[in-house]
Amino acid sequence: MEAFRPYSGIRILDLTYNLGRYATRLFGDLGAEVIRVEPPEGLPDRRQADQPGRNSPDYAFSFFNASKRSIVLDLAAEKGRATFAAMAKDAHVVFLERGAPLADELAWVRAQNPQAVVTIVSPYGMGGPMEQAPSSDLVLQAAGGIAWMTGREGEPPLRLPVDQSVMITSVYAAVATAMCLVDAETGGTGHVVDVSAQECIAHSLQNALQVYDLERRISHRAGEGTRDASEDIYSCKDGKVFLASPPTLGISWKQLLAWMGETSHPSLAEFGKERWLDRRWRQTAEAKALFRPLFEAFIADYTREELLAQALKRKVVMAPVARIGDVLGDRQLAYRNYFIQMADPRFERPVQFPGAPYKMSEPVWAATPAPALGARG
Amino acid sequence: MRPDFLRGIRFADFTWAGAGPFGTKVFSDFGAEVLKVESMSRPDPVRRGSPYKDGIPGINRSGYFASRNTGKKSVAINLKEPEGLQLARDLVAQSDVVSNNFGPGAMERLGLGYDELKKIKPDIIYLAMPMYGEDGPLSSLLGVGMTISAVTGLMWMTAYGPNDPVGPGTHYPDHAANPYHAAFAVLAALRYRRHTGRGMKIDLSQIESTANFVGPALVEAAASGREPPQVGNRSREHAPHNIFRCQGEDSWCAIAVEGDAEWLALAAAMGRQDLAGRADLRTAQGRLAAIDELEAAVGAWTAGQTPAEVASVLQKAGVAAAPVACSKDLIEDDPQLAARGYWQTLDHPEIGPALFTAPPYKLDGERIELKRQPLFGEHTHEILTGVLGLSEERVKELNDRGILG
Repeated sequence: MEAFRPYSGIRILDLTYNLGRYATRLFGDLGAEVIRVEPPEGLPDRRQADQPGRNSPDYAFSFFNASKRSIVLDLAAEKGRATFAAMAKDAHVVFLERGAPLADELAWVRAQNPQAVVTIVSPYGMGGPMEQAPSSDLVLQAAGGIAWMTGREGEPPLRLPVDQSVMITSVYAAVATAMCLVDAETGGTGHVVDVSAQECIAHSLQNALQVYDLERRISHRAGEGTRDASEDIYSCKDGKVFLASPPTLGISWKQLLAWMGETSHPSLAEFGKERWLDRRWRQTAEAKALFRPLFEAFIADYTREELLAQALKRKVVMAPVARIGDVLGDRQLAYRNYFIQMADPRFERPVQFPGAPYKMSEPVWAATPAPALGARG
Repeated sequence: MRPDFLRGIRFADFTWAGAGPFGTKVFSDFGAEVLKVESMSRPDPVRRGSPYKDGIPGINRSGYFASRNTGKKSVAINLKEPEGLQLARDLVAQSDVVSNNFGPGAMERLGLGYDELKKIKPDIIYLAMPMYGEDGPLSSLLGVGMTISAVTGLMWMTAYGPNDPVGPGTHYPDHAANPYHAAFAVLAALRYRRHTGRGMKIDLSQIESTANFVGPALVEAAASGREPPQVGNRSREHAPHNIFRCQGEDSWCAIAVEGDAEWLALAAAMGRQDLAGRADLRTAQGRLAAIDELEAAVGAWTAGQTPAEVASVLQKAGVAAAPVACSKDLIEDDPQLAARGYWQTLDHPEIGPALFTAPPYKLDGERIELKRQPLFGEHTHEILTGVLGLSEERVKELNDRGILG
């Protein structure tokens, strides 16, 4: 018998295809039986993944649907609904998503098993004037407020990459579902969780909402008045590094000056001035404009790797801006055996694949390849 | 509603700053007793982080702290004193979960490492959240949330175009990936303990956790051997798909065409039958080839209207669109958030009424009602006499000798 895992014995019927599919993945990796309930042509993400001519294979499909199984049920037909109803009786969680089957039949789904947790994810949540409004990752990042906060002065707001609306919505949905599952299992009561992607994004804006509420300031993407002059991306010999050296952050600033002193760098003449200890002045456009050329002159002869070594040695908060390929080769991640090999038949060979987001001292996390349509595993 | 799903679960919570407390807050919101163990000798930096009510600093006045610590109880103990550390250990012995997000080795130096605490509470669930993990060649690297974005590729991929990274404008990994992966892991560990009787240690490297947030890009680079392109607000598969300038200062609207029907609807809404009729624009591929021309056309159309006007027309036509909202827009003008009751106002002895966001979901059709954040040390007496059973005299004596606070 397989050793017990945190979600052993839990069955999840999964009708998500976008905003919720990382949530169900998290349960699957920790032992839940996650069954994608798919129409004969597949849930929308599978249809999209199988479209000829697209960026193929669909890497996102493989990532989001690992550790799941698949069953084909035609929920438009009586037989399919009867099978679903029977499966729901043994299920602990049903995950729905706007735009997929059963999302408009919440009452019917609940009636099949009142002890289950039913989680429905949607762009704007249930109810309200935007309930049915069309949406996308870009549009949700705009509507939730995070696009506004990213980008440069004078340029447009910028979204975050790699479908962050999906990631954010899914982690909130997973935690809320797991909370309700505690009550369902120990108190015998099912629940409905109605997750809004817009609200999840608006919940992840650092302190911007409090800044407006308490001080009536709007946090702007350029960081004027909020971000220190030394907190940014800078070019070095072979790429870019991120630095954060406000005097309030540990000894990062003091050590940076000491390092410049050791090398007798001319930039020290400016940074030694009194104004660089003034927190508010350091947040002005003037300070930012001064800081960049002087610091970049200092690091121009260093590679990213050399700067990382200095950061470690001197306790300066500085790190390479990694490209995606660099992350795959990161020596710390390699040391910790973060990556796994995934033998997904969609790929020509097993590929390096992100590992667990958390290491547990008990051997309970595992990921298996995303299922073919109807593959019960 | 005030859910009590986590009733009976107690945290000895040593987390501070952003990511850690945000991850344990969800437990107090769901009815767990989260004891925030804090020291005035080394206070939570977010207690000293802006914004403050009326801009006036104070240990109990930070709105950032408020948003990360609803419903918790503050137990102020001087961890620089051996007797203070013993009190902390006594609290752990009465807890189910111990959480921290210090650097590697910090808890061990205090005698509060997993191996030590397991001796006094064998089934303890121990959450550690060091940035790069507990061990390894780069584990001692110092960083902030943006460092995590830098190391995981998120910063590189957040770009207007090729080789032009800007990075997220916030310490983004602190506000979703890391707190919520941590909370999910603790919930999993609690179920594991209910069934096996065994606790566990959760070593959440914030970089490993965040790397999963760029998971599809990592899989693509590994499988294809190529860097995924930095596309900014554009899409690799569709056009037009961008953020467009509208009428008004710094006013913008996001528009995302993701299919042929939406394209025709957009062209019609713009009154551009000439574009709708063009054969070369009927496919996504054709539109991508003409991307500059199409974006110029859309930009010319949006420039004369407000973001709300643009979004409203397009939504009705079936095209995904929304104004790019800033904090003020969300709070004062967003009809959807208002209709769903997203905002809560909590009263506080020092700050007075302040605005909070509800957890971003409804539960059985209702909102979770938050409880306010604790004053520094507000619950020290209650917890030492109640949970630890100390006498009034003993608490007074500890206080007089500077062991508390």
